[in-house]
Amino acid sequence: MRYLRRIFLRFFGLFANSKAEAELDREITAHLQLLEDDFLDRGVTPEEARRAARRAYGGVEQVKQLHRNERAYQGLASTVMDVQYTLRQLRKSPGFTLTAILMLAFGIGATTAVFSIVEGVLLRPLPFADPDHLVILGDNLAGSSWDQASVTAPDIRNYMRDTHSFLHLGGYQGKGFELSGTGDPVRVDATRMSGEVFPALAIAPLLGRWFSQQEDDQDQLVAVLSYGMWRERFHGDEKILGTKILLDRKPYLVIGVMPPDFEFPLPPGHVNRSELWVPLSPEPEEFTAGFAASWNSRMVGRLKPGITPAQAQNDAQVVAEETMRNYPGFMRSLRIRSNVKLLQEDTVAQARPLVHTLLIAVATVLLIACANLAGLLLVRSIRRRREIAVRLALGARAAMILRQAMVESLVLSITGGLVGLVFAAACIRIGISLLPETLPRIHAISLDWPVIAFALGLAVVTGLVCGLAPAFAAIRTSVNETLKEGGRTGTPGSGHGRLRSMLVVAEISVALVLLSASGLLLRSFEKMRQVDLGFRVDHTLSAFYILPHERYRVQSAVDGFTDALLRNLRQLPGIKAAGISSSLPAVGDGGGLSIIVEGHVPQKGAGLNMATVSQMQGDPFQALGIRLLRGRFFTESDKVDSQPVTIVNRKLAEHFWPGQNPIGKRLRRGMPETPTPWLTVVGIVDDVKLGSPDGETAEQFYQPAAQLVVSEGAFASAGELTATYGYIVLHTDLPPEQMENSLRAAVRSIDPQLPLIEMQTMEHVISGSEAPRLFNTVLISAFATIALLLAVLGIYSVIAFSVALREQEMAIRMALGCQRQGVLHLVLLSAAKLGAIGCLLGLLAATAVSHLLRSFLFGVSPFDPLVLTLSAFAMLSFALAASALPATRAAKIDPMIALRGD
Amino acid sequence: MSSRENDSIQLLQGTLDLIVLRTLASMGSQHAYQIAKRLEQVSGNLLNLNQGTLYPALVRLEQYGWIKGTWGKTENNREAKYYAITRTGQNALGKETQRWRRMAGLVEKLLVEES
Repeated sequence: MRYLRRIFLRFFGLFANSKAEAELDREITAHLQLLEDDFLDRGVTPEEARRAARRAYGGVEQVKQLHRNERAYQGLASTVMDVQYTLRQLRKSPGFTLTAILMLAFGIGATTAVFSIVEGVLLRPLPFADPDHLVILGDNLAGSSWDQASVTAPDIRNYMRDTHSFLHLGGYQGKGFELSGTGDPVRVDATRMSGEVFPALAIAPLLGRWFSQQEDDQDQLVAVLSYGMWRERFHGDEKILGTKILLDRKPYLVIGVMPPDFEFPLPPGHVNRSELWVPLSPEPEEFTAGFAASWNSRMVGRLKPGITPAQAQNDAQVVAEETMRNYPGFMRSLRIRSNVKLLQEDTVAQARPLVHTLLIAVATVLLIACANLAGLLLVRSIRRRREIAVRLALGARAAMILRQAMVESLVLSITGGLVGLVFAAACIRIGISLLPETLPRIHAISLDWPVIAFALGLAVVTGLVCGLAPAFAAIRTSVNETLKEGGRTGTPGSGHGRLRSMLVVAEISVALVLLSASGLLLRSFEKMRQVDLGFRVDHTLSAFYILPHERYRVQSAVDGFTDALLRNLRQLPGIKAAGISSSLPAVGDGGGLSIIVEGHVPQKGAGLNMATVSQMQGDPFQALGIRLLRGRFFTESDKVDSQPVTIVNRKLAEHFWPGQNPIGKRLRRGMPETPTPWLTVVGIVDDVKLGSPDGETAEQFYQPAAQLVVSEGAFASAGELTATYGYIVLHTDLPPEQMENSLRAAVRSIDPQLPLIEMQTMEHVISGSEAPRLFNTVLISAFATIALLLAVLGIYSVIAFSVALREQEMAIRMALGCQRQGVLHLVLLSAAKLGAIGCLLGLLAATAVSHLLRSFLFGVSPFDPLVLTLSAFAMLSFALAASALPATRAAKIDPMIALRGD
Repeated sequence: MSSRENDSIQLLQGTLDLIVLRTLASMGSQHAYQIAKRLEQVSGNLLNLNQGTLYPALVRLEQYGWIKGTWGKTENNREAKYYAITRTGQNALGKETQRWRRMAGLVEKLLVEES
C-alpha cells in the first residue's frame, strides 16, 4: 500500500516540480539560518558563523539533487519536459495541430464506429455460454446444391434418439402463426423447437420457465414469448404468465418470457427474428411420405465435454446410415451425409464476405488518414530544419532532437486516436438511438476493441515513422549549410520532396480503389434495377394468408373459402385480374424440389434436377403480368380429376427441350423410383425473378393448386390439404394502395378472423428484395466518400505546405519575369503529374483486389472501363481542385514582400 | 552501480529511516536541524553525517505517509518545518523496530557462534 502511494507521489512529483523546489529552498534556508544562529550564540563572527553552518550542512546542491531523486522519477523528468515543450510548440501552430489531430480522429473514429455498428447488428456474436460446444447438425443431400445443413422430421427423431455425442440435441423449424384474441389478429414469426434446444443453448428465461422435452413429447400447447413480443403486444405485463393466447386459433399457455438478448435461430444479416417459441411436437404425418423427404428443419446441439465436432459427425453418420436403410422405396436413391459444424461458424459464414470488404474499406480509410499525417509531419520538419540546425549549433545532442521529434509525433497520434475514440463512441451512441429499440443485444453494440487497437496502433506507428524519418534527415544535414542558406527554406530538392510526392501518389491510388469499388457497386445497383423481372411491378397489390387448420379441416372448407375469395375479388371495382399463387416473385423461392423429365437421361454422376414449383388458383399469371410465350394458362377445367398439367418457365424448357416445342412434353415430381404421375406441359411462360433481381433465375414450373395432391403420388400424406395458404395478387386500374381496404373487406366477409399478412404493393416487395444490395452499396459508398474527403484534404495540405515552402522560389521566378499564369501552371502541373501517377497505380491496385469485389457485383465486370475511367477522372479532378487553391495563392504572391520576408 | 554498493545504501537508508522515526516518536514534532542535533548527541558524534543527508530520508518517510511536515516558528521566532510522526508512522515504527531487533539478534547470534 505504502509503495503504491509512493509510486503515485513520485510520478505526480514530476508535474509539481517548481512547487517542491520552492519548498525545498525554503526549508534549506531555514535550516541554515538555525545553524547560523547557534554558531552566533557560541560567539563567532557572523561571517564565520555562515561558513560553519554551510560546512555542517554539507553541499546544498548535492542535497537538492538527492532530494529530487528521492522525490520523483528523474528518468521521466526529461520526457515530461519534452512533452511540455511539444505542447508549447503545437500551441504555436494551431492550424497544423488541429488538422493533424482532426484528420486522425476522423479516420479512426468514423471507421471504427461504422465497423462496430455493422458488426454488432449483422454479426451479433453468439450470446450463448461456451459457444465452442454449440453445433449445428444436418444432412448434406448428395446432388443438391444446398449448403445449409438441414434435416427432416424423421431425422430429428433418429438423431435425438440414437446419437451419443451430445449433451443436448434438438430440432427446430420456423413457422408462422396467426395470433388472435389480443387485438387485431396478426401474423407472428415463431419457431417450433424441441424441448432439448433450450438446455443446449443454456439461457435462463427472464420470467417463468421454458418447456421441457417431456412437454414437447406430450404435445402440450405451451409458448415462450420473446422480450420484444412481450413488451410490444402484452405491455410487459408479468401477469401474462399462466394465461392463454390463440395461435392458429388453438389456445397456448404462456409459460415464460425470454430475456432481451435471447435470439434463436440467428439469421445472420437479417433483423427479422422469432417472436415466440412453441414445442416442436411433430404431427404423425410429418414422418410419412413427402414430409419424410423434406429437409425443412435444422438441429442444434451441445457437445459432450471432450467430444470434437468431427467425432460427433462420425457418430451422427452411423445414425444417418440407419436412416437411409429405412427409407421408403421412393426415396431409395437419396444419399445423405451428416454434417456437424460450430453454430458460430454457421452463423458468421454468410456475412463473411461483407465483413472482409468492410475491413478493407476501414483499412483503406485509415491508411489515407495516416498518409495525411505523414505528409503533414514531413512538411513540418522541413520548415523546422533551420531551427534544428540552430539547436545543433548551440550544442543540442542529436539524441535529444530525435527524442523530441518522437514525442511530438506520439503526442499528435495519441491525441488524435483518443479524440477519434470519443468521436466513435458518440457515433455509436447516435447510431444505437436510431436503431429500433427491440433489436436484440442492441445495447451490447459497443466499440470493437480489436479494430480500435489496430487503428490506434497504426496511428502510433505512423507517427513514429514519420516523426523519426525527417528528424534523422534533419540531424544529418550540415549545420553550416542550413544556416548559410539564411533560413531560405526555399529549395526542397532533397529526398523529402520525393517522399511527399510518394505520399500524395499513395493516397490518390488508395482512395481511387475505394472510389472505383463504390462506382462498380453503384453501377451494379443500376444494372439490378434494369433487370427484366418477368412480372409487372406497378398497379399490383399482394397479401399473404394461411387458413388455420382448426377451422379448415377438410378440403371442401378450403375450396369454399378460395372460391368465395376469388369471386369477391373479381367483383371489386377497378380489378383487372385476381389470382392466388403459392409463391410471390421477389420474396424468395422457398427452395427447390427434384423433378424427372420424360426422355431425359441424366449424365452419370449428375446431381438431382432441382426446380421450384408454385401452385396457382384464379388468374395469378395475368394479375402478376407474367408473359405467356407459348400454349395456354390454366383454366377452370384443370380440375382435380382431369389430366395433370403444368406450365414451365423458359429456362426449364431450354434446359430439357432445347430447340423443341415443349408443349405436350411431360415431367413429374420426385426421383426416378418415386411413383408419381406425369404432368403434361400446356404452356411456357417467361422467367420470373423469385428472389432478389440480382439473384439466379431458377428453373420453375407451375401447377393448378387443385392437382397438387394428385401430382405428389406417393409423396402425398393421408388427408393432405392443398391451397391452405397463398399470396393474393391483384392487378388494378386504381393505385394499388387504394385497393387495400376493399381487399381486407373481401376477406373479412368470408372469415372475419383471418389476418392478411404483409399486404403490400409489388413496388414495395421489389424495394425489399433490393435492400441488401442497397445496404452494401450505401456502406461502401460512405467509406469511399470519407476516403475521398480525407485524400482531398491530404493533397490540399501537402500541396499548400509545399507551395508555402517554395514561396521565395516563386517570388524569384516572378521577379525574373515569370507571369502569374506561369506560376499557376507550375503548381497545377506538378499536382496533375502526381494525380496521374496515383490514378495509374490506383487502377492497378483496383484490379488487384477485384476478386474480393466480384461476389458483390452484378452485371458489371470488376474491370468495367466506364466505371474505372470515370473514377480515375473524378479522382484527378479532385486532386486538381485541391491544389487549385494553393496554386492561386502562389500566383498572388507579391515578390517584394516575399523576398524581403526572410 | 554494483549490487554491493546498492545493498549498503539500502541498509543505511533503512537504518536512517528507523532512527528518524524513533526520534520523532520519543521527542515529538521536530525540525530537521533538531533531528540532526539529536542524532549527533545520541551517537556521541560517532555518526558523523552532513545534516543535509537527512533530507532524502525525510521526503521518503513523508511520501510513505509515516511523517508529516508543517511550517512553524522556533522559540527564537525563526521559521522552520516541523515533522511529526503520523498514526501509520507509529504502526510502521513498531513493525520496523521488531524487524530490526530480529535482524540484529540474528547477526549477533551468528557473530557469537562463529567466533
